[in-house]
Amino acid sequence: MPETLIFYALSGFAIGASAMVIGQRNPMYSVMMLIASFGALAGLYVQLDAPFVAVAQIIIYAGAIMVLFLFVVMLLNAPKEDGSEWDRSHPLRQPAVVRLGGLLASLLVVQLGWALLSARGLGGGVAAFGDAETVSSVRVLGRVLFSEYVFAFEATSILILVAMVGAVVLARREGEGS
Amino acid sequence: MMDTPFNAVVPMLCVVFAALAVMMAEAFRGRDEQMALGGLGIVGLVGAAVSSMLLWNRNASSFGVIVADNFGLFVTMTLVIVGVLTIMFSSVVVRRDGLPAGEYYALVLFAVVGMIMMATANDLLVIFIALEILSLAVYVLTGIRRDDPRATEAAFKYFLLGAFSSAFFLYGIAFTYGVSGSTRLDRIGAFLAAQSMSDSPLILVAIGMLLVGFAFKISAVPFHMWTPDAYEGAPAVVTGFMSTGVKAAAFAAFTRVFLSAFEPFSVDWAPMIWILAVATMILGTVVGVAQTNVKRMLAYSSIAHGGYLLVGLIAANDVGKAAILFYLLAYAVTNVAAFGVIALLGTRDAANDELRDFSGLWHGRPALAALMTVCLLSLGGLPPTAGFIGKWYIFSAAVSAGYYGLAIIGVLTSVVSVFFYLRVVVMMYMEERDPGLAAPAHVGGVGMVALVASIVVIFYLGVLPTRVLDLAAESISTIF
Amino acid sequence: MLLTLSWLVPLVGALLLLLVGNADGRRDGMIRWLALGVSLIAFAVTLGVWAAFDPASAEFQFVERHSWIPQFGIDYFVGIDGISLLLVVLTGFLTPIALLSSWGSIERKVKEFSIFILALEAAMVGVFISLDLFLFYVFWDAMLIPMYFLIGIWGYDRRVYAAIKFMLYTMAGSVLMLVAILGMAYLHSAATGSYTFDLLKLYSLDIAPQTQMWFFLAFTLAFAIKVPLFPFHTWLPDAHVQAPTAGSVILAGVLLKMGTYGLLRFSFPLFPEAAAYFAPWLALLAVIGIIYGALVAMVQPDMKKLVAYSSVSHLGFVVLGICAMNTQGMQGAVYQMLAHGVSTGGLFLMVGMLSDRRHTRLIAEFGGLKTVMPQFTAAFLIMTLASIGLPGLNGFVGEFLIMLGAFRWAPAFAVAAGLGVILSAVYMLWMFQRVFYGPVTHEANETLTDLQPREWAGVLPLCAMALVMGVFPTIFLKPMEASVDALVLRMQATQTVQVEIPVDRRPDDERRLTTVTERVARR
Repeated sequence: MPETLIFYALSGFAIGASAMVIGQRNPMYSVMMLIASFGALAGLYVQLDAPFVAVAQIIIYAGAIMVLFLFVVMLLNAPKEDGSEWDRSHPLRQPAVVRLGGLLASLLVVQLGWALLSARGLGGGVAAFGDAETVSSVRVLGRVLFSEYVFAFEATSILILVAMVGAVVLARREGEGS
Repeated sequence: MMDTPFNAVVPMLCVVFAALAVMMAEAFRGRDEQMALGGLGIVGLVGAAVSSMLLWNRNASSFGVIVADNFGLFVTMTLVIVGVLTIMFSSVVVRRDGLPAGEYYALVLFAVVGMIMMATANDLLVIFIALEILSLAVYVLTGIRRDDPRATEAAFKYFLLGAFSSAFFLYGIAFTYGVSGSTRLDRIGAFLAAQSMSDSPLILVAIGMLLVGFAFKISAVPFHMWTPDAYEGAPAVVTGFMSTGVKAAAFAAFTRVFLSAFEPFSVDWAPMIWILAVATMILGTVVGVAQTNVKRMLAYSSIAHGGYLLVGLIAANDVGKAAILFYLLAYAVTNVAAFGVIALLGTRDAANDELRDFSGLWHGRPALAALMTVCLLSLGGLPPTAGFIGKWYIFSAAVSAGYYGLAIIGVLTSVVSVFFYLRVVVMMYMEERDPGLAAPAHVGGVGMVALVASIVVIFYLGVLPTRVLDLAAESISTIF
Repeated sequence: MLLTLSWLVPLVGALLLLLVGNADGRRDGMIRWLALGVSLIAFAVTLGVWAAFDPASAEFQFVERHSWIPQFGIDYFVGIDGISLLLVVLTGFLTPIALLSSWGSIERKVKEFSIFILALEAAMVGVFISLDLFLFYVFWDAMLIPMYFLIGIWGYDRRVYAAIKFMLYTMAGSVLMLVAILGMAYLHSAATGSYTFDLLKLYSLDIAPQTQMWFFLAFTLAFAIKVPLFPFHTWLPDAHVQAPTAGSVILAGVLLKMGTYGLLRFSFPLFPEAAAYFAPWLALLAVIGIIYGALVAMVQPDMKKLVAYSSVSHLGFVVLGICAMNTQGMQGAVYQMLAHGVSTGGLFLMVGMLSDRRHTRLIAEFGGLKTVMPQFTAAFLIMTLASIGLPGLNGFVGEFLIMLGAFRWAPAFAVAAGLGVILSAVYMLWMFQRVFYGPVTHEANETLTDLQPREWAGVLPLCAMALVMGVFPTIFLKPMEASVDALVLRMQATQTVQVEIPVDRRPDDERRLTTVTERVARR
């Protein structure tokens, strides 16, 4: 019972945050809302017994990629959208466009509904996928990473080193010593 | 399952340690202290070469993913030669243009590490990591002249398109994993051989994506758009390094993946590569004719040479595979030398790479003109140079496999390409120096040594290729 | 070893010359003498080969064979037979003359010039003696490089255009030959299991007629461009006119013969059925070339261009003789190759001397030179008459044999070719008249010097050769007899109509005429 509650809470939060991403006028707020929705998704992953994916989601998506988004937004100094500028002549408010948008939205709803309804039979299927432990447990992952994929793992360290050297070379200021 | 012997990784490790040593040396270098950082790099590369020779015919494999078979070792030797020549030419350029020496050499060495890894990898994931290592290093090297807007633009274009194609490549790997359950080439090959009857669309999509990734790296048409701009903007030595090393590593991996793992599906991808090869040969040659900038012209010529190598890939018989190896070696040495000449002619402020900068070179610098002529004749495929033997090898592979059309297109585009190679020769020998231009730069010791060594190799491969041909033939029997 | 020396000597000479420092031209004289010496040694080697040659045998002699690239089935395989022997001697003969002619006209970069001429000689000899298709192709393409530089650097005003045209045109033809060569090796390996480029082994390969056609066309295209056969001749006038004198002499004297040599050595014997099929078409093109070349030569204002078009015309005869595929035709073809080399080489040599003196080649600029340079006029007359084919000089023997052979095969072609003989007399004599006879119209012509000793050294051998070849043809016919007979036999073995070849053992000077009368009597 508490699980279902947490599920509805997290998903509701995620949906709400996503809606706010497109609804916000200030691009900075949109980015923040996106980060919030990622956090909710991470929670959902944890609920699905995939802690590694959850952490990866936070670190990679919310940590690295969204920081990049923020950099770009701040660099471009994107202004707040002003709703009053959207008068009748704006292309997105043309009747044909609105109708097309409405059509696509309704198609999406229909498809979503169909998918959800036909998947109802698979409701108990999570267990059928076997022990989640063997798939996404951090312990198993770590073991595989250091046995089967150890070379790839170590090679990645060289990759990161190259990236660091490259970043330093490209970004350093003129006139500085080595 | 871990194979503990480290043997197969030793060549790679030599170069890694050299790169790390260069970085350390740079860190401890005094402000104006002169250090032979390039020399450190060459020591590492020579170590890699020696270890490759010792590993020959041993078929060592490490960690299950790096297999130092003769094929990979042959390509490793080619890459070492490219690396040594590049460092020798770079030593002149780094001092002249004031490039950050330590980082430059470290990046070159790391790129070589990536290339060697790519050539000897037996696992798609490792190939991808190697691809990224060498790509990142080369992106940075392209843009290392930060005050040159052309260089920055070139690096940016290269990076953007390269990242895109890497994404395609990775997606292809993911699909392959999904289909076969492993990223090891041998296991994929075994799985696909058992599956060859069923034409699963997923496999075809995977092949297509991998093809896109590879085609980008070897500048096959229509994935070649980045090449002319990237080659023109980068410093000439880096261009020489890029056009040869990256291509060699990419072709090695391409050959390995498609001719061993995906071989059962060759009836599906062979026509696609056929089209790529024809388009590449023709476009590379035809557009090259219109160029007035020598670097750009050589960029298009590299594209065309990629097309010839693809012909060898399509031929897919023993001769074809050995031909690819030999051609890579011949082409690599020749191209590095040609770009080396362009690099040596430049100055800090002017790249001096237009056609008219070569005018009358014979009168001022006869040795340089003669060496450049030999390189151009080899690129054009005229005897008695290495390029001629390479083309002979590739086209005899095509004819043996019955691809007469490819052979005819190949030889005819060779003739057209001779036209734009000869244009440079005409400039050097048959035109008077434009009085408005500065006198050609004086070429120093290390650069000349590198050039002369390259020419010796070109003639050796052209007149007495037997030994190297033997090695090439030996190289393919182990994996295919 | 002797045969290898014949191309190794010039090549080593060229490489040695590289080491001589001549940046400021101080050592020009020494370099010239060195180069001349090397070329004379090479000539002596070729004469030595001739002396030791056995004319009775149709086999290849002086054969040398070393394994070169075993993975490809390529050997260093050289040998000489009656057909190639004389061509090699011709090469050795013309190169010193060409070098001598350059002493007066080439002033800059003498060292590089000599190096390129010697390298060119090495490549040319290599083409004639190669019995391995790969080796042949290497020499064939390698020959292009020095010629390209010779035209492009030391030529006249449109030299770069002419050089590139020459190179690309020739290469385009030869790369198709490359594909055909690869195809043949592959077919041989498919049939017998051994992948080889050995010509003798490939001679015995049985190829399906359809495939033969394609290969024949590929090979013949490359050679037709070199001959030059109409309509692939358009590179020749430019190359000849723009080349320096020495280059023209070698180009006309030797390089053009490579095309016809290729037909004799490769196209016809390797693909006999296809050759029999295409021979009438080739002969048609040859005859068109004869007449077209003559007509265009007639209207040329430039002497060099006139002689260039006359080459197109004369070499059409050679191709006609080859296409006849009988003894007279082929013997005449080989003889005409030699005769043309001597006479046209001489014509270019002397036109070059005139243009060195007056810096113009236009006929209108000259006139009445007979009174100013009588010795020159006499020598020029000999060359002209030899080129026309006057009996007693070398041109007659070749042309007569060719017409005989052609008449036996396809009379219509012979008649048309005869027309060409008449036309050649017209344009050559007309030029001679305009240049040498009449009053001296230009002042500059009055002070021209007659032949200098150095120039005599080049002209005299050629004139002498023209006479000797015309009066004692058997000296040159004897070596080639056996080889040509063997070739004809090979060609006719595949044809449905068997034509008897009389094997003539009578004294040679009676032979030619009596054969004709015997034929007539027999009919």
